[in-house]
Amino acid sequence: MVAGSLLLLLLLALPLVAVVLRGGGAGLRQFGTDAELRGSLWLTVQTATLATLLTVALGTPLAYLLARERMPGASVVGALLDLPLLLPHPVAGMALLLAFGRASPAGAALAAFGLAVVGSRTGIVLAMLFVAAPLYVSAAREAIARVDERYESVARTLGDSPARAAWRVTRPLAGRGLLAAAVVMWARAVSEFGAIVILTYNPKVASVLSYDRFTSEGLDGALPVAAVLVILALVPLLVLRTLRARVLPGELTR
Amino acid sequence: MIRVDGLGARAGTFALRDVSFELPAGAWGIILGPAGAGKTTLLETIAGVRHADAGTVTLRNVDVTRTPAEQRGVGIVYQHAFLFPHLSVEANVAYGTRDHGYAREVARRLGVGALMSRAVGNLSGGERQMVAIARALAPEPDILLLDEPFAAVDPRSRTRLRRELRSMQWEQSLTVLHVTHDFGEAGTLGDLAILLEEGRLLQAAPPETLFRRPPSAAAAEFLGAENVFAGTTTPMESASGDEPGVMLFRAGPLTLVGIGDSKLATHAVIRGEDVVLSSERPGPSSARNAVSGVVAEIVVTGALARVTVDLGDLPLVATVTAGSVSELGLLPGSRVVATIKATAVHLC
Repeated sequence: MVAGSLLLLLLLALPLVAVVLRGGGAGLRQFGTDAELRGSLWLTVQTATLATLLTVALGTPLAYLLARERMPGASVVGALLDLPLLLPHPVAGMALLLAFGRASPAGAALAAFGLAVVGSRTGIVLAMLFVAAPLYVSAAREAIARVDERYESVARTLGDSPARAAWRVTRPLAGRGLLAAAVVMWARAVSEFGAIVILTYNPKVASVLSYDRFTSEGLDGALPVAAVLVILALVPLLVLRTLRARVLPGELTR
Repeated sequence: MIRVDGLGARAGTFALRDVSFELPAGAWGIILGPAGAGKTTLLETIAGVRHADAGTVTLRNVDVTRTPAEQRGVGIVYQHAFLFPHLSVEANVAYGTRDHGYAREVARRLGVGALMSRAVGNLSGGERQMVAIARALAPEPDILLLDEPFAAVDPRSRTRLRRELRSMQWEQSLTVLHVTHDFGEAGTLGDLAILLEEGRLLQAAPPETLFRRPPSAAAAEFLGAENVFAGTTTPMESASGDEPGVMLFRAGPLTLVGIGDSKLATHAVIRGEDVVLSSERPGPSSARNAVSGVVAEIVVTGALARVTVDLGDLPLVATVTAGSVSELGLLPGSRVVATIKATAVHLC
């Protein structure tokens, strides 16, 4: 049992360690000199953050309705939400291109507002949102479902409307769970490649840049970018660990 | 005043069906029933946090069936306090009111005034419950719904809390609807006892009537009646149609004179404290039933004893004082005569 566990851990850790050991030093040095790398990382962080904020704003009410089953067909909606998670990401990119590309009515409408989806930041945000928002909604739904509905019932009898009770009671009680859901979504958005590369090759997010350098300069050229991406992914991981350590023990004692 | 008419509601797969009763303003109603009877669902439907899918809820003579919970002016306290864990005790108590002075006053009266700055995480079970009651009373509702609020409270605090609540109820003429499993509580607090089973109302009556004249054998057993016998009933005198009357009840070797509402009664219910034991057949008396048997078992608990008398295959339980047991010299195997008034034999 122990040997098997160690083998799996080794399989998971070895590639990451190899990337950081081989490319980490160069990545950090290049970070100072390589303006394209800096710009691409900044673009990635900006677009992932925007996609996450949009999802939190629109997805939290949805997660609430699903968790409290106050929505007709909640189970069907829940299942549909998982679908983007199961699609190969280039397929997701193609679906987005079909729905929001210049030739589509929705794409034409967006373009009229200066929000062209292909080859733009809008496209990056849209692709990130499409592949990562379901992660947020399903984790947020679980976090909300863990808060006993009777807290809201009590708040209602004390004068709160349903929305106000959800805001004053459920939101703070599910707060850490919601934050953890947002962090997971952000990390997923940062690492997205397949859907983005179909909608928007340029400007390049970090994952696209690493792929671009791999095809043009080979492994050695791509490694510094890859190493910086691995290091960037460690940040949300650490945030999550801290959150989880605080969220579990006796959080919702009645 | 609380009135429900033909009330129906759903909670998951459970359904409350066709419940009707009226609790006058300022009265204390007790809801009794086995687990899963629909007691909490009934409270939640009256509070408006659960949707009624049939019937009406009337509070203070106003139909509030479609009124949202926040406009019904009803306080609710659950068995688990459900204090908001992200707020202090003070913020919990003042959650539903702008009058923080009054909130503090209510907390002080319920004995939790000194806890106001504490976090709710470090309160004892009793303290949590008292804070929850203070929180429900702070917005000055005139209707209070209690869902086993004393279940998690230690016996000493329970007595004090009950007394304090009772006096606040009198002062503010609160109408209280209270779910409990404690029959003592039902007897001492209740003006009206409501018995639910499997989502239906079995009976709504003064507690004394409910305990003395339960609507069915199952209800009698739930309410702690020691003797429930199955048998057949025949009217004796002055019993016409469905009028209550004196009837003859037969169960195997046992024949009893009792009072029933219907000649279709299939059970006789006798409370243990209504059975008088004597060592020999008593002289002429108004008691219509005297049966002899052999003591099978004596269980003494404190000042009371539960004596099981074997009446030839049928066990009859009598609750007597431990003093009577020693005075009569009762031992397993002793021959005794059990005397029961006809009015203590409830046929249902």
